[in-house]
Amino acid sequence: MLIDILRRLLIGSVFCLVQAVVLSRVRLFDCVTPMLFVYFVIMVPRGYPHGLTVLWGFLMGLAIDTLSNTPGMASAALTLTAFVQPYLIELFLPRDAEPDMKASAEAMGWINFAALTSLLVLLFCAAFFTIEAFSWTNWQLWLASVTGSTVLTLILIFTCETFRRK
Amino acid sequence: MQNLLAFLTRYYHWLLFLLLEVVSGVLLFRGNSYQGSVLISSANAVTGQVNEWSSSAEQFFGLRQLNEQLTERNIMLEAELQALREQAMADSTDSVQNKELPLLSQYRLIPAKVISNQVNRPDNLLTINRGTADGVKPDMGVACGQGVVGVVYMASEHYAVVIPVLNSRSHISCAIRGSNYFGYLVWKGGKAAEAYMEDVPRHAFVDRGEWVETSGFSAIFPPGLTVGRITDIGNSADGLSYSLRIRLSTDFARLRDVCVIADSSFMERNTLLTQARDSLSQTR
Repeated sequence: MLIDILRRLLIGSVFCLVQAVVLSRVRLFDCVTPMLFVYFVIMVPRGYPHGLTVLWGFLMGLAIDTLSNTPGMASAALTLTAFVQPYLIELFLPRDAEPDMKASAEAMGWINFAALTSLLVLLFCAAFFTIEAFSWTNWQLWLASVTGSTVLTLILIFTCETFRRK
Repeated sequence: MQNLLAFLTRYYHWLLFLLLEVVSGVLLFRGNSYQGSVLISSANAVTGQVNEWSSSAEQFFGLRQLNEQLTERNIMLEAELQALREQAMADSTDSVQNKELPLLSQYRLIPAKVISNQVNRPDNLLTINRGTADGVKPDMGVACGQGVVGVVYMASEHYAVVIPVLNSRSHISCAIRGSNYFGYLVWKGGKAAEAYMEDVPRHAFVDRGEWVETSGFSAIFPPGLTVGRITDIGNSADGLSYSLRIRLSTDFARLRDVCVIADSSFMERNTLLTQARDSLSQTR
């Protein structure tokens, strides 16, 4: 357990650094930002303590918020994503899934993994940009931000997944 | 009791989820309603350091362009100096000169580097690598070689967060160069190069291409700092005044080197104004 926590802390800090130093500065067409750190929450395996997943989501979001001056936005959205992840993962199980199955393309199959990831990233982006805009007056921009960021994040996550250690 | 405990152990993640969402909500509203804590922002030491590393790496790769800009600016200033020198020779008895010299010596400029910057959010903030230890205090003006940048919002020991023009809360008092009609500068989101000058009286004569500068009324900026150029003339929402679209002279997307204007006389005016307001509200 301790080793697992240390490992997740390490991975989490790498995601934070990459996001703060590189990805947060990317802004395509004035609205699209990649949100690779959602991957951190998606990676949580099946059967992991639910409360701990939520806590990881919150801590990760808090770290991102602190680094990019968006108090509360990423933490609220990522806590929600982390809360939903254990329920969603049950919907996309392969036939003979182990109780502690990893949430990876290798263990779940690409189609299941892609479906799980897409839903979670879409949920996160929708929540994040809703909190950021906080009104529906500029819904075209909201829609563009959510769609664009979801697509870009998914491309990044699938690329990382291809190179993920087995 | 046992039922309650069983309920809690079974659904503790729901409680945790709700609790953490509430915490996030508190952060969101505190952090964005103008009393943001220094801890959860890029003004704290750890994130400041991270941002400083990344921006120094970025700066290194931008040096070439910066050099070109500096050279350009140098040539321009050289030409301006020459022109001023000639003018000074022509009317060396002018009394204005003697008046402006002590005025300029009151300014103390604190050079700073931008270590984190945003331009595309609804409310942008930027962080500079100078803080209270270097004499930066909240409500000081920040400018760069191209024009105004913003106002210091809060300062920790070594870093400060600046509210730039590209923030809906920024209201910088400005005037049209030459005619001196004044209004205030607001940003309505969207393009990082465009802002609006509101409250310009309807009887003012304005023309596209005219320059807008700070008015000096705000007790933050000295008068005469370049803001931008008028690109379009429109009406305000209530139709009582003009709303001028301004092309900002400062390129916020490539902002690197800025100066904090630490001017004692402005600060003095500011405190005097606050004191006056306080005493007025007490007598009421």
